[in-house]
Amino acid sequence: MTLAAAVPARRKGDKGIDGSADARLGLMLAAPIVFAMLSLVLIPVASTLWESMHRVNPMMAGTPFIGLQHYRDLLADPIVNEAWRNTFIYVAICVALETAGGIGAALLINQAGRWRRYLLAAVVLPWALPGVVNAVVWGWIYNPAFGLLNGILVAAGLDFEKFVWFNDRTIALFAVSLVHVWRMLPLTAVIVLAALQSIPNDLYEAARIDGASRPKMFANITLPLIRGGIAIAMTQSTVAAFNFFDEAWILTGSARGTRPILVQVYLEAFQNLHFSYGMALSVLVMIASLAVSLVYVLRVQRVTRLD
Amino acid sequence: MNRLFRTTVALAALTIALPAFADDAKPLAGQSITVLLPSGQSPTLAADFEKDTGIKVDLQMLTWDDIRPKLITGLIAGTPPADVTEFDWSWTGQFAAAGWYEDLTPLIDADTVKDIAGSAIFTVDGKLLGVPYSNDFRVMLINRKHFTDAGITDTPKTLDELVADAKIIKEKGITTYPIGMPLSTSEGTSTTWYLLTKAFGGELFDDNFKPLFTAPDSAGYKALEFEINALKAGLVDPASTGLKDSQINESMFGQGQTSIMISGEPGRIAQFADPTKSKVSGQIEAILVATESGKTRSYGLLEALGIPASSEHKEAALAFIKWMTSKDYQIKNYGVGVLPTRTSALKQLNDDGKLLSGAVLVEQAPTVEPLFKQGTPTWYPQFSSAVSNAINQAVKGEVTVAQAVQSIADETVKAQQQ
Amino acid sequence: MDMRLSHRIGVWIGIVVLLVWSVGPIYWAIATSLTPTPDLMSQPIHFFPEHLTLNHYQRLAGFGYIASGDVTVASQFRNALLNSVITALAATIVSIFLASLGGYAFARLEFPGRQTIFFIVIATIAIPGYTVLIPLYRLMVSLKLIDTYLGVTLIYLSAFLPLALWLMRSVFQQLPLSIEEAARIDGAGRLTILFRIVMPLAAPGLVAASIITFLGAWGQYMVPLIFSPTRTKPLTVLIPEFSTKNFVDYGLINAAGTIAMIVPILIVVFLNRYLVSGLTAGSVK
Repeated sequence: MTLAAAVPARRKGDKGIDGSADARLGLMLAAPIVFAMLSLVLIPVASTLWESMHRVNPMMAGTPFIGLQHYRDLLADPIVNEAWRNTFIYVAICVALETAGGIGAALLINQAGRWRRYLLAAVVLPWALPGVVNAVVWGWIYNPAFGLLNGILVAAGLDFEKFVWFNDRTIALFAVSLVHVWRMLPLTAVIVLAALQSIPNDLYEAARIDGASRPKMFANITLPLIRGGIAIAMTQSTVAAFNFFDEAWILTGSARGTRPILVQVYLEAFQNLHFSYGMALSVLVMIASLAVSLVYVLRVQRVTRLD
Repeated sequence: MNRLFRTTVALAALTIALPAFADDAKPLAGQSITVLLPSGQSPTLAADFEKDTGIKVDLQMLTWDDIRPKLITGLIAGTPPADVTEFDWSWTGQFAAAGWYEDLTPLIDADTVKDIAGSAIFTVDGKLLGVPYSNDFRVMLINRKHFTDAGITDTPKTLDELVADAKIIKEKGITTYPIGMPLSTSEGTSTTWYLLTKAFGGELFDDNFKPLFTAPDSAGYKALEFEINALKAGLVDPASTGLKDSQINESMFGQGQTSIMISGEPGRIAQFADPTKSKVSGQIEAILVATESGKTRSYGLLEALGIPASSEHKEAALAFIKWMTSKDYQIKNYGVGVLPTRTSALKQLNDDGKLLSGAVLVEQAPTVEPLFKQGTPTWYPQFSSAVSNAINQAVKGEVTVAQAVQSIADETVKAQQQ
Repeated sequence: MDMRLSHRIGVWIGIVVLLVWSVGPIYWAIATSLTPTPDLMSQPIHFFPEHLTLNHYQRLAGFGYIASGDVTVASQFRNALLNSVITALAATIVSIFLASLGGYAFARLEFPGRQTIFFIVIATIAIPGYTVLIPLYRLMVSLKLIDTYLGVTLIYLSAFLPLALWLMRSVFQQLPLSIEEAARIDGAGRLTILFRIVMPLAAPGLVAASIITFLGAWGQYMVPLIFSPTRTKPLTVLIPEFSTKNFVDYGLINAAGTIAMIVPILIVVFLNRYLVSGLTAGSVK
């Protein structure tokens, strides 16, 4: 019974006698959210979408309507395409590491007994460190001459004296991603931990009586029940990785080899003053991160529906 | 929520309507302006100005990187980001084309413009868009102790002498990497290459903004070769491909680990002289930029103060600009490391013996040229970014010198067409 | 028995790795904040600071300041700390209040447009900040909300509400329907059920959503940089100002960053009591 109830079920019979009262209450509770999102996000987005179809460049007179011209130009822009490539690599590395690491961290915290609250606090620390300080600290860690990383590797007898971490493009992409993963992993851990906490203990008790092994319990009970949480966390990681900016900007500046797409947006709109061109690119970033996130969300929904 | 908005609006309106106290000697007393500057200004700046004029200043200081997005957001939205803002030399072309800043020509007297020679960099089509307050040009900085320890007494005047001295310092084991030079993809890498291009006796562009750096015998080409040769000869730390100019200044030159800063900033001399911030206090001095021919050259990267055209407190804003660029204040402001833009102020400081490396700075100042004779172009950001990316790739051996300069030229032409 | 022992050892090794990964760089930040400025760039590096100094903290706290530029550091720092706390708390309270009510509505109540509205709200997570920056700035200017707590709180709300809402809806969906149905048969109204029965059961989700919103708002940089430039300026915007064009005060930056971590950590430790005892306590009864 408990298992069936725990799986999100859409109950058609719920409409019952007080269906209209429910509808009124539902609308009332959702209204402030709709109002806030409409005025603070959706209308501004619509306005940007409209501007992206004009040539808005403060250095040129007038803002003529140009339709989808910017979007066509963006697809043919080699520098933009290179930034896309970097961003997809960042997304792959960050989402994979944050999801695996975050689930691992949440499982460990969940099993840490009475040390749990302190362990959680320690895991959340990277996220509490202000972003600027984060970048400064990691800049020092990667510093060829005075960095902690080379210091440790040299102390371990390896030849990393003055090794430059950002010279090789592949290593640089990975090194920069790692800083982002370090900061964002706690978010996944907290979301998954909340899902883990919601699993009733008696499910495990029952499985234990049936003689199920640990891996089996994880696969049959834990994973299906935290799947919703994982989809939320992965969506969040994906969006954050598409919006990757600070770490790359502070650690490697505007270098093409590591330049993420949002830095390209910034450079077009705020440095080159091709304002609506940059805005069109930011719209594409939104569409891309939405499309990628939708893959997990739909997958999770399909799987949960089968139950 | 709507009511909350309205209350806030009403409250804000009330605050504005509060009666201002007028003062005869200070005609603008009681007014209030906002000022946006990079961090590192004198902590008493706002208080000093209010004391002198009665105008209240809401001073917002941001890091150098953050000033630009903050400014552009306000300017594009059509609201003044502040009544007086930072105005960098590199923004001149764009801001002039956008018409975002007030023309100060009729408001600033001719003597001031004459005393502040750098005003020319901020003048487009006869319109003065900003009054320079912070003088920045390039000199070379050396660690005199390293030179003396290596037995070198002469100051290098040509690039060949400079390299020869660096080799001696390296051979004597005084520093492993005697030449400090950023090679990462950052603005400092570009500005170093500009200086070396000047040092090799050339210019970046001709009068029609056609690139002049693609031929193998051009100054820009030689400048890039010079950088690569210095790196290959072991005179420049290989780690420089990942370091910004500020990191090389602080973590290497300021630590006595390198002996020559090719692209030296006069504004840093005071910091290096301060024993609480550096380990090389008393060892650093400026020298004239060494060149291929021996005749020194330099260029200016000044910062100015401008008034956005949308500002609603232009009179008070102008008063602030006049006050901050006055001779007296510039002399006082040298205390926080801001080099005066007024020739008279520079001279006075040097006469009083207060200007560190004063003789060199006063001698270099008249040789300062604008980087772009026709004024900073609107496509400067793309150009500068192409330069640092190409140099970074060339020094890492990913592309040849010829390919690097060609890619800079190609991207410049592309940016010019947009 | 053997299995259990090896499992425990595995867990402890995992915990040690997790701690080194999370706390290692933090240790380095704190060590830097305790190192005198001229010692920062020494070679070979010292894993433990050779000389300890509280100088950077003293300058933030406002006593025994040394450089002339520090007159205002202490008071700026106090204001910024207060602003950070106020805006992050306000954003958390408003977001979680709306998200928990809305989450329940989207999970349990049938109303027209339910799926569509939910999908659109969630989809806004994917919008990059730059996409809405300029229109939002125009809106805030026209409402005279620049540099006000209300303005920043509203922007944070629009940024963090969708994730909190999604989280809360999934938590409500996971709760057993049977408890609510029993209460309805007893004649309890929807709101009574929501506040008396459902909310306590959803405590772990509420806490997780609060932690996420609070830390999200606490770490914001670009939004306050543009929207709360002076009077309501938070720590994240103040800290980088310790670097000037010519000199970056790493010690002071790291000291300020270390203090900036303390408040969120206290909040996490405090809220964690509820995260641990949430559902287990509720479902037993």
